[in-house]
Amino acid sequence: MLSLSSLMGTAALMAESDDAQAAIEWAEHFQKNYRLMTDEEKAEARARLEKRYSEEYGKQVTVDTTPAQPGVLMGYALNIRKCIGCRRCVHACVAENNQSRGKNRPGEKIEWIQVLRMERGKFDAEKMNHGYPEGLGIQVGGNAYTPVGQVLEGQYHYTPDLVPEKDATYMPIACMQCEKPPCVKVCPVRTTYREPDGVVVIDYNWCIGCRMCMGACPYWARRLNVTNPVLPKEEMNPVTHYLGNRPRMRGVVEKCHWCLQRTRHGRYPACVEVCPVGARKFGNLLDPNSEVSLILARKNVFRLKADLNTFPKFFYFYD
Amino acid sequence: MKKIALYTTIFALFGGALYVAVAAGKTGAATQPAEAQAATTEAAPAQPAAAAETAAAPADAAKEPVVCFESRKGASEVTQREIRPGWPNVKCSPTTGAALWYGDPFDGTVPMGKMPGLENIPEGHALVKPRSEKLAILPMCATACHNGVGPKFTPPTLPKDKKPTPIPTMEGLLPELKEFQHGRGRLWCLDCHHTTQRNKLVDNFGDPIDFDQSQLLCGKCHGDKLRDWRDGIHGKRIGEWASDGKKRWFLCTECHNPHNVQQGERNRGFAQLQPEPPPPLPKGMPDMKHELVHPVAH
Ligand code: SF4
Ligand code: SF4
Repeated sequence: MLSLSSLMGTAALMAESDDAQAAIEWAEHFQKNYRLMTDEEKAEARARLEKRYSEEYGKQVTVDTTPAQPGVLMGYALNIRKCIGCRRCVHACVAENNQSRGKNRPGEKIEWIQVLRMERGKFDAEKMNHGYPEGLGIQVGGNAYTPVGQVLEGQYHYTPDLVPEKDATYMPIACMQCEKPPCVKVCPVRTTYREPDGVVVIDYNWCIGCRMCMGACPYWARRLNVTNPVLPKEEMNPVTHYLGNRPRMRGVVEKCHWCLQRTRHGRYPACVEVCPVGARKFGNLLDPNSEVSLILARKNVFRLKADLNTFPKFFYFYD
Repeated sequence: MKKIALYTTIFALFGGALYVAVAAGKTGAATQPAEAQAATTEAAPAQPAAAAETAAAPADAAKEPVVCFESRKGASEVTQREIRPGWPNVKCSPTTGAALWYGDPFDGTVPMGKMPGLENIPEGHALVKPRSEKLAILPMCATACHNGVGPKFTPPTLPKDKKPTPIPTMEGLLPELKEFQHGRGRLWCLDCHHTTQRNKLVDNFGDPIDFDQSQLLCGKCHGDKLRDWRDGIHGKRIGEWASDGKKRWFLCTECHNPHNVQQGERNRGFAQLQPEPPPPLPKGMPDMKHELVHPVAH
């Protein structure tokens, strides 16, 4: 009753204003959480956003609201033996998903995929008696301090002339689309949630930028728009989804959403399509013949930080 | 009742005030980008002018289409063009020239030939980019030199052993043959190329295989890889993700160089290439040395 009347008060104010821009901002400000919106309200929000973005970017921008398709649970697999660390996936993602790409101020450039370069370790006879503390014989084992295989202690900024380097492996990470997402558990305004097809999405309009989810995510997947996003008109991708790659505003968190604007219409995510070695695989986990299901059935598969019980739907595998 | 009415009026007023504050804040925020935009548009004419200069200097270069390579350098390429206004078929990396984004995944493809194991894929859903178009000397192979005529072929003779004899003309046409490296020295030309039809490959029965179906040749030895490729686990596909979706299948030789497979320092199947630029350094970090410092010495 009380809030209703306060709304009426503002509505009365609004009726007097004939400023279309203000009307749009007002409507956006009082928009419901996307999950609670009726189909009409979604259509309204969509029309409003399409109008605003089209004007802002000087081209016809579409904002899709296609819901999850029944019988689909999206899954992703990455062949860790194949990845050569070329970072094409990182840049394809930026081209597709309208991230901020400024160069001048810190935080203006946002990339969702990170490629970790990791050293290949080895066991070494010379290190048999080394240990910690040094000189006291083996207290904490010698060879244990030469990492063998993968350790999550990597480099993001490697710049060799050619990849893959001889003694390195590469591990791309992004949002794992957890089945039990810690980010969803902590969001105080419940603006990030899991869609029925398994993708964890964000309604940017309701994000208050509190960064709880960034702290909760064990995979460093989330990014905050610290500045006003820098998105040149000619580079902007006009095919967008409401929960996906539509342009974001300052102060909201964003992350990988498996290219919802593509995958809801059957198309592979952008990173899958550019990976030169075919390390990235995407498909329907409920379809036993999909690439991902066959990988799960046939290959050696692991999930990153499986001990945290986040149940990612992003799998790493090797031949 | 009166009290409630009073509260409502207070709240209505408060709500109104709140709205005014919000609106003021928003317009304040809105004008700022507008100003910034004006500034950029002011600065913009200078930039296009500079761009126009650089573009005008090599005037033909501006017309020259942008071509980017797809998987590895030296194999399939795609020429950039606009499909609809503001929507290119491909975006290329300004750093490396690699294809970075596909607007049209089926650009320049043809249906893949028949292959056992792919019966469940609907007609026209498996596409390939013809390799034969890229192999420049292919049409000449069987007409110019390996044409079955000439003194050597009457009476027809075939090589007596499998020791490849270096032919200078051949090596001139395909310099990579000098570093021929496949099967660690246990393969030679005619294990893969057809004896009498040199613009074809050869299967286990001695029958010709088209260059656009190299998987049938490679699968003779690499059967496990062929199976994984057929199931979509090995190799690259672009287009639709559904298991029976319309996809462009990348052929073996679009990623692997058949004449020099263990290319590069890492001695793996894929050639080394230049990486795309790294992410921005964290605030206050002048270089990436902090990444090399391990918490534990080793
Ligand atoms: S990877 Fe991080 S952001 Fe993605 S669902 Fe899991 S916790 Fe959330
Ligand atoms: S594009 Fe593929 S090979 Fe390159 S870094 Fe990404 S996953 Fe690795």
